[in-house]
Amino acid sequence: MSLLIASIGFGLVTASILAVAAVGFTLQFGVTNILNLAFGDVMTASAFMGYLATTNGVNIWAAVALCALFGAVFSVLLNRLLYTPFVRHGTKLFGMIVVTISVSLIIQYTLQAIWGASFFSLKFSPGRSYHLGSMVFTTSQFGIMGIAVAAMLGVYGLLRFTKLGKAMRATASDPVLARSCGIATDRVIDVAWLLSGALCGVAGMALAMNVTSFTSTTGGTFLIAIVAAAVLGGVGQAYGAMLGALTIGLSSEVAAGVIAPSYKQVVAFVVLVLVLLIRPQGILSEVADQKEVAA
Amino acid sequence: MTRLRILSAALATIVLGGCGGSSAHGPLVVADFNPFSGADASFGPEMVGGCEPAARLINQAGGVLGHKLTCQVVDTRGDPADAVPAATKMLATTTNLVGVLGPSADEAAATVPVIDTAKIPMFADTGEAAFDHSKFVYFYRLTPADDVKGYALAQWAHNRGYTRAAAIFGSDVGAQSDVPTLLTAFKALGGTIVSNQKIALDQSSYRTEVTNMLSAHPQVIFTEADPQTDSTFLSEVQQLHGMLPVIGTETTLQAPWLKAVGGAIGTTQLARYFSALQPYAPSAGPAWTTYDHALLASGGSVPNPSQWASDPYSMTYYDGVNLMALAMLAAKSTTPADYAPRIVKLTQASPGAVAVTSFASGKAALAAGKTIRYIGAGGPIAFDQWHNSSGAYEAAVTIGGKTKILGVISAAQIATLKAGG
Repeated sequence: MSLLIASIGFGLVTASILAVAAVGFTLQFGVTNILNLAFGDVMTASAFMGYLATTNGVNIWAAVALCALFGAVFSVLLNRLLYTPFVRHGTKLFGMIVVTISVSLIIQYTLQAIWGASFFSLKFSPGRSYHLGSMVFTTSQFGIMGIAVAAMLGVYGLLRFTKLGKAMRATASDPVLARSCGIATDRVIDVAWLLSGALCGVAGMALAMNVTSFTSTTGGTFLIAIVAAAVLGGVGQAYGAMLGALTIGLSSEVAAGVIAPSYKQVVAFVVLVLVLLIRPQGILSEVADQKEVAA
Repeated sequence: MTRLRILSAALATIVLGGCGGSSAHGPLVVADFNPFSGADASFGPEMVGGCEPAARLINQAGGVLGHKLTCQVVDTRGDPADAVPAATKMLATTTNLVGVLGPSADEAAATVPVIDTAKIPMFADTGEAAFDHSKFVYFYRLTPADDVKGYALAQWAHNRGYTRAAAIFGSDVGAQSDVPTLLTAFKALGGTIVSNQKIALDQSSYRTEVTNMLSAHPQVIFTEADPQTDSTFLSEVQQLHGMLPVIGTETTLQAPWLKAVGGAIGTTQLARYFSALQPYAPSAGPAWTTYDHALLASGGSVPNPSQWASDPYSMTYYDGVNLMALAMLAAKSTTPADYAPRIVKLTQASPGAVAVTSFASGKAALAAGKTIRYIGAGGPIAFDQWHNSSGAYEAAVTIGGKTKILGVISAAQIATLKAGG
């Protein structure tokens, strides 16, 4: 029983990283309809930025903020310089997926060319451990969970209570109608990439802090779980991605504790398949049923 | 895979029918058949570090039956899909191909049948237990099979006085092949494996697995997993409990693993708690000294040669080339099918046999009509009937790039455990 409770606690840390990444991934997809499979590699690039910062004496939490900024700028530039020209030329969803896979490989191999096929560790201390019943958390894990909660509340507040959030939801729902209603959809799309990139940068740093050693492929490896959380929640649904991340994070850790470690991924993806069998559009479906990938 | 093997063998037979001889002129070629790109790109250069010094010394000693000997890189990319065409091309187009170093575990299952069908002797570095009792006539292995590692790990932990251990191995085939013999041998030595976990690779966290393991109170952790997996796992052991002694396989003595785990738990902790078992290759003795001098003089063809000076794999590749060259002299033929049967005999102790520790001394003894026994840079060689020579293991730590030997598990100790299992 105590292992089960402990694994739920550990699952919360995994889910926190996954939630930040999945919300960033799905928020951008919901607004722009580009399934950005280079997301994991932007996470890795951000982790390398964090590595540079921490090895030069920058505090770990300041480095997280720096990575958010880096991820935001990187993502906006990626969209403006690479993706938008393809969209303007009429490239469809499948074509764009191929483009994003290419970008993913370009980023991955560029990182490898610059940094080498080696492993890197952020210079920081995880801090002391705190016991909450059977659960154990380090200071840095509390920090990661805190950032995740703040990011989720921020995204919730933005989408629910601000004009920009409403414009984003309108653009996600029907961009043509949103534009004819006077919404500057191009600006909304830029903001979506900016926000998504910032969350991507934060998730990249959180992942690097959690795994302790990372390489040029680390973020790409994590992408499958991110996409799974986003699809589980309902593609394009920020709140759904939060739920999806929680489901995947908790189920994988509980499976490792209750069944066997080698079933960790199996159980998480069995849960994904079962949920999609019952609700093919994902847990929350407001936008998902309008997107090709969920059809 | 079986279909691929049959097709490959058939293709090789068609392409190479009647092949296996050599032209009267031109250098003899030994192929470095290993990954030089891809995930296991680090394997190939290790092989070059063995082949080039051997070729250098053989050529300095006048070559083999009037031929110079050269090493030729053949990149398998660590993938059977690339390795099979690379093997057929190598066999079909390489003039005077007399031997192969490799293949590695990445491509052995698909390419050993191809090379064997072409009747080319190969000194493989694959650790697959499937080759422990294989019927491939031209297959030779001077490095231990993966399953032998399990015996060495158990014996070393026993020697250190550990009786309660956790087995934490990655879910990949290579790592898992160590586990059955480890479990059997540790039990036979009076120990208990209190936690045996097959862990999924490259996860963002292993805290549940670590907690599960710690609840069983192990004194030591046996492990083999990729660098990222082990660095995450062991850093979480450190966070949740404090570091425990760790005994790894030779995979964990490689630079990427040491860098990743050292970065995660700290190099001081790594030096204090970690040791690993690797095939025993003493960096001493006349055979090793000859190898070392030739290696260090091979800077033109071996980048940063000193890194391979104490590498057991590089030493066995060096020995493989020497054995093939001496076998050609003994058989008075460079045709692989003629000289291959001499290879095993050259390593056997027999009345009147002269122990030789280099190609030059072996060539001189053979020219004088003597029977020789080759002692390698990696130590004495004792092939079994399936052409496997496992030898001993050494426990080592690598601190600041320097390997320090902590102790040796003898071939006899391993044989005893094997017999018991």
